[in-house]
Amino acid sequence: MSTFDATSDAARRPFKGRRTHFGDLILQVTAGLAAAGAIFLVGMIIYKVVEGARLSLSTFGLGFLTHTSEINGDIGGKAFLIGTAVTSIGALALATPLALGVALFLSELAPGWIRGPVTALVETLAAIPSVVIGLWGIIVLIPNLRLHVMPALHSTLGFIPLFGPVTGTGASIFAAIIVLTIMILPIIASISRELFLGVPAELKEGALALGTTRWEMVRGVVFPFARGGVAAAMILGLARALGEAIAVSMVIGAFNGFSWNLFSAGDTLAGRLANDYSSPGTAPTATSSLFYLAVILLVFSIVVNLIAQVIVRRAERRQGLVR
Amino acid sequence: MSTIGTAPASLLRPADRLGRRRIVNRAAEGVAWLTAAVAVGLLGLVIYSVARRGWSQLNLDLLTKAQNPYAGPGVAQGLANAFVGSLVIVAIATAMALPFAMLIAVYLSEFAPRRVKTSVGLVLDVLAGIPAIVIGIFVFGLIVVNHGQSGLAASFALAILMLPIVFRTTMEVLALVPQSLREASLGLGVPRWRTTLSIVLPQSIGGVLTGTVLAVARVAGETAPLLFTSSIVGAGISANPQHALEAVPLAIFELSESPYPTDQARAWAAAFVLLMFILLTSLVARWFAARSKRKLGRGR
Amino acid sequence: MPKNGMLIRIALAVAAIAVVAATAAGSGSAARTSGVTINGAGSSLIAPAIQGTYWAKHFHGATGNTVNYSSVGSGTGEKAIDTRQVSFGASDAPLSVYKNTPNPCAGCVQIPWALTGTVPVANIGLANGKLHLTGTVLANIYLGKITTWNNSAIKKINPGVKLPSKPISVVYRSDGSGDTYVWTHYLSAVSKAWKSRVGFSTTITNWPTGTGFKGNSGVAAAVKSTPGAIGYVSAAYVGSSHLDSAALQNRSSHYVTVSINAIAQAAKIVTKVPSNNEISLVNPPASSKYAGAWPISTFTYVFLHKNGDLNAAATNTTKAFIKWALQHGQYMIRPLTFAPLSSIVINASLKTLGQVSFK
Repeated sequence: MSTFDATSDAARRPFKGRRTHFGDLILQVTAGLAAAGAIFLVGMIIYKVVEGARLSLSTFGLGFLTHTSEINGDIGGKAFLIGTAVTSIGALALATPLALGVALFLSELAPGWIRGPVTALVETLAAIPSVVIGLWGIIVLIPNLRLHVMPALHSTLGFIPLFGPVTGTGASIFAAIIVLTIMILPIIASISRELFLGVPAELKEGALALGTTRWEMVRGVVFPFARGGVAAAMILGLARALGEAIAVSMVIGAFNGFSWNLFSAGDTLAGRLANDYSSPGTAPTATSSLFYLAVILLVFSIVVNLIAQVIVRRAERRQGLVR
Repeated sequence: MSTIGTAPASLLRPADRLGRRRIVNRAAEGVAWLTAAVAVGLLGLVIYSVARRGWSQLNLDLLTKAQNPYAGPGVAQGLANAFVGSLVIVAIATAMALPFAMLIAVYLSEFAPRRVKTSVGLVLDVLAGIPAIVIGIFVFGLIVVNHGQSGLAASFALAILMLPIVFRTTMEVLALVPQSLREASLGLGVPRWRTTLSIVLPQSIGGVLTGTVLAVARVAGETAPLLFTSSIVGAGISANPQHALEAVPLAIFELSESPYPTDQARAWAAAFVLLMFILLTSLVARWFAARSKRKLGRGR
Repeated sequence: MPKNGMLIRIALAVAAIAVVAATAAGSGSAARTSGVTINGAGSSLIAPAIQGTYWAKHFHGATGNTVNYSSVGSGTGEKAIDTRQVSFGASDAPLSVYKNTPNPCAGCVQIPWALTGTVPVANIGLANGKLHLTGTVLANIYLGKITTWNNSAIKKINPGVKLPSKPISVVYRSDGSGDTYVWTHYLSAVSKAWKSRVGFSTTITNWPTGTGFKGNSGVAAAVKSTPGAIGYVSAAYVGSSHLDSAALQNRSSHYVTVSINAIAQAAKIVTKVPSNNEISLVNPPASSKYAGAWPISTFTYVFLHKNGDLNAAATNTTKAFIKWALQHGQYMIRPLTFAPLSSIVINASLKTLGQVSFK
């Protein structure tokens, strides 16, 4: 994450004793202003989004988070919060084991000739725009889910309320989970692969020399070593899932309510933003409430990213000790 | 280290019941193969669908003809207006983000005290983590509410998304520039600003380009910020960024929900072109990255 | 550092290509257009009449001026004209609907310029008009009270028709839409439960059940691809998307299939146009005069700033286009299931149009 720390303060110090050249001053001031500009920009983003939400914030307060919606009027945050939580946690639960499988496969098991192409495929997937995945979701995924996958899941696992009857068009929370899984799988997989490859060979070889099987070596050496990093990768995946708007809005079915049946339509914070961008309803607070959703999203993304940073820093420190 | 020390000792000790352990190993390996196969299959399926449907719909009209609202059924239509719009929006966004990101990187790596460096770095990490749709609604509140939609507003939104990417890669490469190079230059009496601009920066041009190309690949496919900033568009090809411009991801977004097969076909073709563009730029970025790392590695 | 020189050259070349491409495209568009270009945005209901082979094309042929139209939904159209992003906004919901929004378009006038209907469409293998529905049944379907096609309430009004035992997939518009406005206005008129639980608006935030899709085309695509689905679209989209519409019972107790005549009959209730031009045709009263009236008919409006557009040329071209549409465009769009406006409405529209001038 932060590998730019190579020029230490000590290395930079020789500059300090010198008499400052006029050109130095100009460059330093210009570049310094740019850096200040970056901080100002982030401050502006937070300020503008909160300012936009002010009317809704003062009208509803935190009650916004727990109410759904009123007649002819405005949205509440509740359904979107639940929808966001269910879709992103669902996607994380599906993507993590798959991603770890891919990472293990690529770092430990795969024959050499497979590694290159599969690694390239996984990294390519990370770069596919969400609108393309959404297009695939609408035209390919949803009809297949409705015709084959959902009925099969309902008839076998129907006793779990999550897999209820299929009454809708196929655009559903379930479809959103699948689409998000596809989007975050490559992120978690490629970071985990690098982490697994970063486990010092002497540790792995040591374990194998002690007579462990390959799986025991992975469980005893690779997983513990990479644990912090994998957690950070999962959190980055979660952040992506929380904030994804386009692909989700294309497949989730824009229903402002929540049902435990994953096969029914729902909505997320970001999905609603993408959906209502142009016409946020006719209530006086409607536009402001959309900004309120953005505020929630902003808070989530900042908190989640800071947690990821902390985990990465801690993991780096620990790995530094090992090396 | 401690966690490795506390790993169950039994795991690391070749105990008895070798047969059972071998079976467990086999099973675990099998599961890893299986999950990898499922994941790769799923990912492959997406690329395959886009490639199969997009490839067959690809024709020259797509790139040369605009979306044509005057056309009756059967008239060939393309998405030239969307391609031109995307080109203009992304080009302007790059022009906004690139110098800004480079200046920040130069300041942090060459001038800033350590504490400033860490905290500004953290702020830019936070910026990188803000969802694109929130950036979109920010620019909506900042510009669109008072001045209306425009290509420029869209470029500004995309530039914000590009900024942390270009910054991060530039930072990484600046860190690789050998300290001895800076010292040698300063030792020869070259002032610091000239050392930075003519010695340090040229060394890192590869990294800057990598970051730029990566960022272009990322934002060329962004839809969310454009919804708020450049989605009310007229027909015909236009490159005037003072008005809202159509863009490729927006066109895919709109055409994807159409009931008409010809619209869907154009969505697939556009998705295919976009995908190819992103693949190509990622490859170029990787080439730049490998090249500049190799060169700077040699310099040490 | 020759290698770096090469990289810089590549970067410059890429930039140069981008600039050349951009300017080439720019000059191309400048050369293409003659006369004045105006932009409009809004209602997807009116979009087929402006786009395609209809109004804009003929207006261009007659005057050399270009009309661009962006089919982004009525709500967006209203906002776009209020903020002067476009020369005209189009909305199926009247101006009064937007009065509490941050963009009420206070200095705007509304001009009815076309007449059509919103239509329930269902995908249950019954041809146009074969499925009978009443307002109450429709409201109960959209309230989530009737959930399968072989429900007794539906059976009762469809004697002899084989109804599938499929669940009903309710589909609605997820964007701000004039169709949604007319549709929910109708449901509020026929169902007290709907009126108190949901109400009517361009954007409904609390649909009791169902799945949302963007635009008339999104709803059409979803209904078409989902057996058992029911949705609503503008009349123009029924034919062009090959959907099957349902016959709806009007207040004269007749089951009516949507048609130009049925819509025109509903419009017969207009004998006088109020000064703000706001007219509702929803659910006309029982009378032999309206015996065949389509109960979800609607005027669709164009919104203009009373003090004109950003410049005189755009203002005059916009006025000329609307005048042209009112005087020459009405019969042309009959294939899209638009009924021509009566002279009472056209005269009121022209009178309002005359009040608009660039200041």
